[in-house]
Amino acid sequence: MAVVKAHHLQATGLALWGLVLLRASSDGRLDLLLREVFHPLVGLAGLILMSWAAALVLPGRSSSMGGPATPGQWRLGAATAAIALLLIGLPPNPSFADLAQQRASDDSGEAELAFVLPPAQRSLTDWVRLLRTQSDPRLYVGDPVRISGFVLPRRDGPPVLARLLVRCCLADATPVGLSVRWPTNQPLPRADQWLQIDGDMAVQQGPQGDELVVIPQRITPIRRPARPLEP
Amino acid sequence: MSTAWALFQGLLIEALPFLLIGVLISSLTRWLAPGGRWLRRLPGHPVLGPLSGAALGFALPACECGNVPVARRLLVAGAPLGTALGFLFAAPVLNPIVIAGTWAAFPDRPWLLLARPLGAVLVSLALCLLLRLIPEAELLQSDVLAERRLNQPLSAVTLLQRRSGIVGIRAAMATDPDADPGRKATPDPASRPPLQEVLQHGGREFLQLAVLLVAGCMLAALVQTLLPRQWLLNLGGSPTGSIVALMVLSLVISVCSSVDAFLALSFAAQVTPGALLAFLLLGPVIDLKLAGLLSLLLRPKGLLLAMAGAALAVLLIAQWINLWLL
Repeated sequence: MAVVKAHHLQATGLALWGLVLLRASSDGRLDLLLREVFHPLVGLAGLILMSWAAALVLPGRSSSMGGPATPGQWRLGAATAAIALLLIGLPPNPSFADLAQQRASDDSGEAELAFVLPPAQRSLTDWVRLLRTQSDPRLYVGDPVRISGFVLPRRDGPPVLARLLVRCCLADATPVGLSVRWPTNQPLPRADQWLQIDGDMAVQQGPQGDELVVIPQRITPIRRPARPLEP
Repeated sequence: MSTAWALFQGLLIEALPFLLIGVLISSLTRWLAPGGRWLRRLPGHPVLGPLSGAALGFALPACECGNVPVARRLLVAGAPLGTALGFLFAAPVLNPIVIAGTWAAFPDRPWLLLARPLGAVLVSLALCLLLRLIPEAELLQSDVLAERRLNQPLSAVTLLQRRSGIVGIRAAMATDPDADPGRKATPDPASRPPLQEVLQHGGREFLQLAVLLVAGCMLAALVQTLLPRQWLLNLGGSPTGSIVALMVLSLVISVCSSVDAFLALSFAAQVTPGALLAFLLLGPVIDLKLAGLLSLLLRPKGLLLAMAGAALAVLLIAQWINLWLL
């Protein structure tokens, strides 16, 4: 039986971690897990780990590093392989509604916005940020709206259409949402469903005074976007 | 569970590159400064040591995951204990990226820009003084201690304490059953090791730390999923309650120190100033994700003392801030 050398086992472990990072960079899961600014770092780390693994087993270089793998190294290698295979084989599929319901909504916002897009081009996050800088909702009554997001149920009212804001990774995601006047002749949409809503802005009386609400003209179920997180 | 799995992957994939950066710096230091003679010249004074270690943080703009392998290298290279621990506990905050991030997130709270680095130094100093109460042999993990003693001058450790090295056997091989027996013995620890050996040593370090990081991320993801964050924020209505709630939150969330200020921004309006500072001070020192990594350096007794000491120091600083600003 061939003896597995320690550095071969180690190279396999490093290559597996490299593969995890490269796979995550290529299969789109980073868009679901991390803020975009970190994506190149993950890919680069994957490449470095693969190169490191190759350097350990390069012919000539490795000849001086003999020695069979010890039981401890086998255990470490087995743990690494198990974790890496699980990570590669089981891509993430989080419920955004579950995640958002556990967290406080994001109350932060810039004092001023550098520029403001025309109403129909504003995303849900643009609307929320705009409302923070200019909090009088009556200014926007009648503005056309075209937004997309996931359905986030609320304990104290009908569901809102929401997005998750991320500073670093999914662990720090916080929700922002807009109220929607859902059609009364249809059942309420289910939690976590992604919708695109075309309609107009209106004002309704909320628990804290006037609040902006979207009056839908058309509600279209859509697939979760490739980049569902917003900075 | 699918949400916990996604949180786990997010935490892990974000932390792995920083861990790699730390291991690369550690390996580079081992190759460029074998024996670490310059490290042993750093001050061993109980106060100056931790302060010099904290100042080293400016040279390593990485978060806490990347700092652990570098702190390990400082320890095994024979740097004064206070310096290495000062670096470990303060550097995650005392680096340019974190300070710039804090300023970018809270331009309207200039006191935070001073209080955060100053608080990190005070917490680090308190922890170093506290951990000095435990003898090194009971504080550090055995493999770290063995390699450290081999690199310390004979005036600092006895031959019996060294246990190896005097006949040219590497300490790691003598004490670590997992060390590669095929490696050649290195007679002089101060001579530059071959690149292959550095690569192999660094590779083993990365694999060990990565598995511990997996355990920490798994724990953090599970606790985050089971413990609603809003519940913690609601708990902190009173000044002291808000500090304790935010300290627990920082343990659970386990995000990098380089971005935690932006996360804190989302709930800063709901909490007291002391609680906000507590969140920004405690997370970089200890959190669920880090606990596994720190266990590679510190024995359980030292780890528990560090956790308790950090919590107490942060609580006191945050209370003082609340008294000052509320």
